[in-house]
Parts: sequence; C-alpha cells; structure tokens
Amino acid sequence: MEESQDMVKEARYLYSVARTGHEARLGSIGIQENNVYTIPYKDIAAIVHVCDAKPYHTEDTKLAEEWVLEHSYVIDQATKMFGTVLPFSFDVIVKGDDDVVKDWLCRDYEYLARELLRMEGTAEYSIQVYCDYDYLETLVLAKNQELLDLKNSIEKEPKGKAYLQRRNLDLKLKNLTYSEAGRLADQFCSGIKPLVKELKSESRTSWTPEKYRDKKLLASCSCLVSEEAVKRLGEVLEEINRKDGFFVRFTGPWAPFSFVRLQEAG
Amino acid sequence: MNPERDSCLVEVLDRLLDRGAVLNADLIISVAGVPLIGVTLKAMLASMETMLEYGVMEAWDKSSRDWYARQEAKLLLNADETILFKAFGYLWQEEGIIGAWVPGVWNITSRRVLLWQRSPGKVVFERPLQDLYVQRTKASSPERKELELIFPEGSAKIRLSERLEFEEALAGRRASMVAVEV
Repeated sequence: MEESQDMVKEARYLYSVARTGHEARLGSIGIQENNVYTIPYKDIAAIVHVCDAKPYHTEDTKLAEEWVLEHSYVIDQATKMFGTVLPFSFDVIVKGDDDVVKDWLCRDYEYLARELLRMEGTAEYSIQVYCDYDYLETLVLAKNQELLDLKNSIEKEPKGKAYLQRRNLDLKLKNLTYSEAGRLADQFCSGIKPLVKELKSESRTSWTPEKYRDKKLLASCSCLVSEEAVKRLGEVLEEINRKDGFFVRFTGPWAPFSFVRLQEAG
Repeated sequence: MNPERDSCLVEVLDRLLDRGAVLNADLIISVAGVPLIGVTLKAMLASMETMLEYGVMEAWDKSSRDWYARQEAKLLLNADETILFKAFGYLWQEEGIIGAWVPGVWNITSRRVLLWQRSPGKVVFERPLQDLYVQRTKASSPERKELELIFPEGSAKIRLSERLEFEEALAGRRASMVAVEV
C-alpha cells in the first residue's frame, strides 16, 4: 500500500526550525535515542535526526507515547539552546538528505526567518477559566429582585401552581446564569487580551484535570505571550482565581504550536 | 499565579498532533499521497477525547496513561486461550419481528468463536468450538458474505468480508474434530 518513496532511502525527521547559524549536536535525545543535530542555512537551522524514508507508525501505544514525549523533549531542549523555535507536528519527515533540507530552508528562508522573528522572546501559554455554576446561580439569584420575589411567592401557592412557577423560575434563572457566564468570559478575555501578542479562543479543552471535573469551562484559550508579560498575565489570572466560584488553570510555557503558520509557505 | 508546565500526555499529544507546523506534501514522506502525520496517534487522541467527553474516564490522570492497554485487555481470554483469527463483521439478531445486523469483531480463539464489541466492551455472542458447524446460507452471494453458524441450541446468521479466511481458520482449528460443511 505504501508508495515507493521515489526510491528515496534517506530521510530527516524534523523537530523544529531554530534561530542559529551553527552546526550543533544535541546528543542522542531524539525519538528512539537518535542523534539530533542542526542543519544550518544562513542564520536559521532545521533540527533533525537521520531516519528511514518511512513514517513512524506503531500499533503499540506505549511506544507511540514514548515517541511523542521524546519529540516534545527535543523541542524543549532546542528552545533552551536557541530561544523560541518553530515547532513541527509529529511525524514530519523530509524525503532526502541534509542537502534537501538545506534547499528547503533556502527556498523558504524569508518566510521562516519572518516567523522566527515574530515568535522571538515569546512562548505559548494555555489558559482555562472554570466556574462553579451552582455558585454563580446563587449570585445571579441574590442580585435579581424579581426572581427573589417569585421564589418567595412560590411557597404560598397551591401545589400545582407552585410546580409551574418553580419551573418558570428555574428556566429564567438558568438563562440569566448562562448570559452572566458569557458576560464574565468576555470580561476575562478583554482583561487578558492587552497582555498577549496573540490569542486563540478554543471552544473546548483537550483535557480537564480531576479537580475541575465538576466545574463548567467558562473560557479556554491559547496565548502567545512575551517573556516580560508573563508575570503581569499571572497577576491578572490570579485576580480571577481569587474570586469565589472561579478557578483558573494556567499552563506553559510551550513552543508556539498553536501560532506557527507554515502551511502557507512556499 | 505562576504557569505550571503540566507535561501530561494528552496536552503534549494535542499540541504535537493537531498543532505545530507541517510541510508541503512534496517534501515529506507520505502514504499514497496523503501525508501521514501520526495516524495511529491521532486515532488514539480522538478516542481519548471521546471517552473524556462522555465522562467514561472519571479516574483519568497521569497514571492512567496506560488506559489503552487496559482497554485492549478487556477481552478476557483464558490462560491457555489464543486468538487465531480476527476480523470485523456482523451478527444478525432478532427480537420478535425486528432484526438487525450487530457490528463487532469476530474472533476465533483456540476454544471459541465470539463477537467482540470494543465499545462498550462486551462479548455479544460466543460458542465453544466443539459442536460448531458453519455453512453458507441460501442468501449467500459473493456480495453478501453471509454464513450460518450451527450449534446444538440453534443457529446464528453472521456476515463478514473475510468469509473465506473465517471458514479456513475455523476449519483449520476443527480439522481433526469435525469436517466443515461447505
């Protein structure tokens, strides 16, 4: 089923592109302990290891997990050595040898250099704001006289009417709580926006840690943040986190996975 | 507050598989022209997400990274039992006048024939190999790939595209016991 890769035997597994003009050896830190090194062109370099011209593929999940963590580790090490890198997806394998990689760097140099400059001194962070919905509901109810009156009157009504009114109350309260949640999410976002270079809202999160499982996700985003802005961002998030019923999850730094744009290149 | 670098696998996977840069297809290794960017891993991530969404994995945490292995292990085999044949297929199930093809994976082990549904993870049908016969049904056509399993309590209509291989595996296993009717 596999197509003959145009008779290509050699290939290079690509981890990232970094800002360095030097040949460097990062050691045997690659996937399956492969030797990782740089292929420089002008002042940028691809970070690779030598591999066969076929994709990394396994049914063994343990092994697959290891590969992913190894890939991630190389990107982290490269970031420590060369500053922010352009991270590549898993299993991006260039057909050919060092010269082919160099040709690509040469061809896309302008674009790659521009992306590196855009990412310089930044890192990606992930922010999730969770809230305790029941708590938010009590806040909404406490502030709404009309609903409070309705709630108090229900107790005096006969059974049937009380049932209908309770449903009415629940529905109104639910709608108001939803719009309050939306308003708060917008408010939090507008507090965060001035502190970040770029922000990508996410409708969902890939993973919710145990302690937030019973909370509702109010807002989730990935942000590209300058080094000097991280502290201030942390302070703003701390303010949100300190509010009763709200919980902030702030993770990073990651290489700018969500912000690197190379698909349009070349 | 300070950011935490929680290198939990799901988050690393999410970034490495769904984000990050890729290259023009002409530069990179591909299978039949489609860039193969961690296909297995993507499937893995997708199933994790689905499970998380449906709250199946309440106890999910870092230590549960081996969930996939456990998931696979749910089809419990006896100590001396091995799987000889495995293929996707269907079982015809009738309730009153309503019938339906139930999908799953047909397994022939050294002891039994069974239809395994990975989700929710249950054995839908199983019969010991002894006293089990297989024959093609009247409706069998090259397209339908139907077979009838006959056992002392009755029979079952099944369907699978690897019909020949199924018959062979069963015949191989039972060669010394019973001749397979074809």
